[in-house]
Amino acid sequence: MLAKLNSRDELESYSGRFKWLFLAFVLPFALIGARLWQVQVLDSHEFDRRARNNLVRTVEIPATRGLILDSGRRVLAENRPSYDVYITPRLVRKEPEALDLLQRYLNLAADDIARIRKRMEEADGRAFLARRDITRDQVAQLETHRMYLPGVEVRTNSHRYYPYNELSSHTMGFMNEITGDELESRQAYGYRPGDYIGRMGLERTYEAILRGSPGLERQIVDARGIPQGEEQAEELLGHYRRVEPIPGRNLVLTLDMDLQRIAREEFNYDSGAVVAINPKDGSVLAALSVPTFNPNSWTGRLSHEEKRRSDNNPFKPMIDKTVQAYFPGSTFKLVTAAAALNEGFITEKETLECRGFYEFGKRRFHCWNRVGHGREDLADSLMHSCDVYYYKLSEKLGMDTLARYAYMFGFGERAGMGINGEQRGIVPTKDWHRKHSPGGFQHGLTLSTGVGQGDTRVTPLQLALSYGALATRGTLYYPRIVDHIETADGRKQFEYPARIRRKLDIPEEILEEIEIGMTSVLHDQTGTSYENRLDYVTTAGKTGTAQVRGFDQQRLGDNGEIEYKHRDHAWFVVYGPVEDPDIVLAVFVEHGGSGARIAAPLAMKILDRYFREVKGIDPEAARARAIAQRRRGPRRLRRPDNREEPSRWERPSDDSRDGESRDYPIAWPPPPPPTNLLD
Amino acid sequence: MAKPVQAQIFPRFDWILALLVAMLMGIGLMNLYSSSMALGEDLYITQGVWLGLGLGLVTASSLLDYRTYERWAYIVYGAVVFLLILVMVVGTRLNGAQRWLNFGFFMLQPSELMKPAIILVTARYFSDLPHKVDGNDLKDLIRPMMLLFVPSSLIMLQPDLGTSLMVIFIFFTMVLFEGMKARTIVGMGITTILSAPLAWSFLLKDYQKQRILSFLDLEKDPYGPGWQVRQSLIAFGSGGIAGKGYLDGTQVQMGFVPYHESDFAAVNWAEEHGFIGMMVLIGLYTALIGWSLHIARSSRDRFGMLVAVGVAAMIFWHVFVNLGMVLGMLPVVGLTLPLVSYGGSSVITVMLGIALLVNISIRRHLLR
Repeated sequence: MLAKLNSRDELESYSGRFKWLFLAFVLPFALIGARLWQVQVLDSHEFDRRARNNLVRTVEIPATRGLILDSGRRVLAENRPSYDVYITPRLVRKEPEALDLLQRYLNLAADDIARIRKRMEEADGRAFLARRDITRDQVAQLETHRMYLPGVEVRTNSHRYYPYNELSSHTMGFMNEITGDELESRQAYGYRPGDYIGRMGLERTYEAILRGSPGLERQIVDARGIPQGEEQAEELLGHYRRVEPIPGRNLVLTLDMDLQRIAREEFNYDSGAVVAINPKDGSVLAALSVPTFNPNSWTGRLSHEEKRRSDNNPFKPMIDKTVQAYFPGSTFKLVTAAAALNEGFITEKETLECRGFYEFGKRRFHCWNRVGHGREDLADSLMHSCDVYYYKLSEKLGMDTLARYAYMFGFGERAGMGINGEQRGIVPTKDWHRKHSPGGFQHGLTLSTGVGQGDTRVTPLQLALSYGALATRGTLYYPRIVDHIETADGRKQFEYPARIRRKLDIPEEILEEIEIGMTSVLHDQTGTSYENRLDYVTTAGKTGTAQVRGFDQQRLGDNGEIEYKHRDHAWFVVYGPVEDPDIVLAVFVEHGGSGARIAAPLAMKILDRYFREVKGIDPEAARARAIAQRRRGPRRLRRPDNREEPSRWERPSDDSRDGESRDYPIAWPPPPPPTNLLD
Repeated sequence: MAKPVQAQIFPRFDWILALLVAMLMGIGLMNLYSSSMALGEDLYITQGVWLGLGLGLVTASSLLDYRTYERWAYIVYGAVVFLLILVMVVGTRLNGAQRWLNFGFFMLQPSELMKPAIILVTARYFSDLPHKVDGNDLKDLIRPMMLLFVPSSLIMLQPDLGTSLMVIFIFFTMVLFEGMKARTIVGMGITTILSAPLAWSFLLKDYQKQRILSFLDLEKDPYGPGWQVRQSLIAFGSGGIAGKGYLDGTQVQMGFVPYHESDFAAVNWAEEHGFIGMMVLIGLYTALIGWSLHIARSSRDRFGMLVAVGVAAMIFWHVFVNLGMVLGMLPVVGLTLPLVSYGGSSVITVMLGIALLVNISIRRHLLR
């Protein structure tokens, strides 16, 4: 043992090496020190910024979308809580299995998960919405497995809900996710991927009003993306870390859901529309387009099956038929009669003979009644819907004069409800025929136009409004469906006033004579709709049976019936009570057949229920009153109170009459820009 | 020599060494308390137990003259190699590596024990040879190289690149200290450079390659392997000069730096105590290494001297590679910061080294 003990000298020979070894150890440490100086002192500021970025997450606080209420403040569109899944891409990317787990727990389809993956690549670090409206069970699943799902978060958002389901589907519209193109064009308005946007009806037109603007909040999160406490946030970010969202504003409509429901319940045909307006101010009381759809299934996840079924439905449920243009049939005789009386071609007492047809040139124009009506005055012609009477008037009036009066009654122009790409319809003129008809303009076309069988096309809404002008003795209103806009807390912010479109350039006496004829339609025993009259209230109406194909062109289907597409449209327009009308109802049954047999009973049934159930009229008392009134003689002419000087009707310029409907933004009533309303 | 050796221990006890070690242990525990807060686990208590065990080990082993270990060096070495082979057969796999022997109440990592073992066996080998003033040549190195090759390849195969490199670094530090001829150094250098590509293709595992690649380009894959180091740097940098304050580090406390209790313990310290704290820490390590070299220099024989140099090298390489790694200067290899990182095996290894230093230090004035 001792032998191994080295001599001191031998050990001394190492002593020089200790210096070098110590130096060799200290130099790398100096290097570390230099690096620390660089990182902790020189670049500290930059790293500090990055440390904050790590912790701070900017979260968007969605604004609550405004409600839509009917005139009785019943809620037509509201927001319900929905559990939505958000993903923070940075955190999920670290955990590759997280997406597989998510797919399993949420039962996602392969293309759903592919979409999420794609979104993760595009996202800018903020959490994005990956899945909407998951079930409570799924929420529980995600919460239980939270440890394995970093960056996956369930937030409670609000989801659009329409309590009346399909009852006023077309007017409400629906919502779904914003597309990439829309995102680009609307970025300035703060839309983000995954946002929902109004797609139809009021939801679309009033998007800017309903939406509000989202707020922002900066949160402190840990590495898993879990938000930290209030104290910590305040300590690191200070007080100003939240911008409150501005909730969307509510729309209060003129619609009356009671009437809307009655219309829906009574309308038992495949396709058509019902429009009810208040003639005194143009308020839309009901707007029904059949078939309806359920906006709740279209908002959010519409299954492929549902979409396919809707696309293949021959009755086109996604089209709002209240603003689509159709042949008006005899309901158009309002215009012809008013024109002829006003131009002095005939007086109400003059009679014209109907022999069942009218010979014009080489062509024979038939009355619907082939036997003929005999001599008829104005009231008779309306009551019996005699065609020959109007052929004769039309011949005298000429195409362009007819067109002038059609425009005067609001046809050929958009009524201006502002939703669902309203059509302007067609009011043909000579020029129009020269441009659009195969044989150019021929005088015979004037005759068919005069009875509503030409190329004229009107929307149910236009028709209701034009009869409103008759009911008010000459005041044509713009329709209004939004009564006012109010803030989320119920303060009225903007009111849409009743707006007169024009005063008809027709004396009230003439309109009264027409009204007498139309009253006879229901209340004279020979009237086309006498059977459908209400015995406790006087109403005025007009049937319409619009031929879609000429009689000889109607093809028969396998079952011996006329092929659906070739059947006539059935119309009935009615208003009442005649003494003081507060409702104009236009009923349109697409390819429904005869106006008198199909549309009139339907319209009168709706009207009956409206008077009884909505207005609460007691038929017995009303009957007594009506009888008493009739004894008192013809009613006094009413003078509508004009809130605004009417603009004199002007002959529309030629280029605006081409009759094609274009889908450009509606001029009136335009939703006021949101900036005006911010306070 | 009036009194027995044991009676002379206390007055000759190395208080400076004890103070340095105690301070480092204090920093370690304090830091681990902060890490425990972040993790929600009371790791500092477990660590305290290990440190206590380590102190017991120091005391116990000081009672035996270190020359006993000199005699037992080859046996100790052989036993550890046996454990390394055992680990290959019945070891427990964790995170894709088979490094642990499961003893139920604790998991032993034999590769850690190889660090003191290689120190002992290398010191023993060279102290048996006559000292050559002009240095050893390749011929003298063949046998110790064999002693190195067996355990280092066994550890590499586990795989555990960090520990394997540590064993190699400690060995070569001692060999270089013992002295080597210039041409031998050059020759070995060239061989290393030439064999590097071979090692890359055959020896390194994929994840090890990835770590090295990610080190070369930190920004390339912000969420991949480089993420850890990037977050570590953010913690260092955001700590600034004075730090964010004890328990107030955001990077560590909110979980942005994984392994902040073990390999990345320095990150927590740096974030909370800043540049100043790091200077204190590095200063303590420098002092410890310097003091170890002082012990080596004043030791009474070559074996003791070489062992002390080996322990100094062990501490140096751990500190340097660990800090280099967390500061993004070196690739990420799993290495602990002595006395600061959490982990029983690491604590025991370092304490064994400290025990050897204490032993040599106490006896340097005896039997001079």
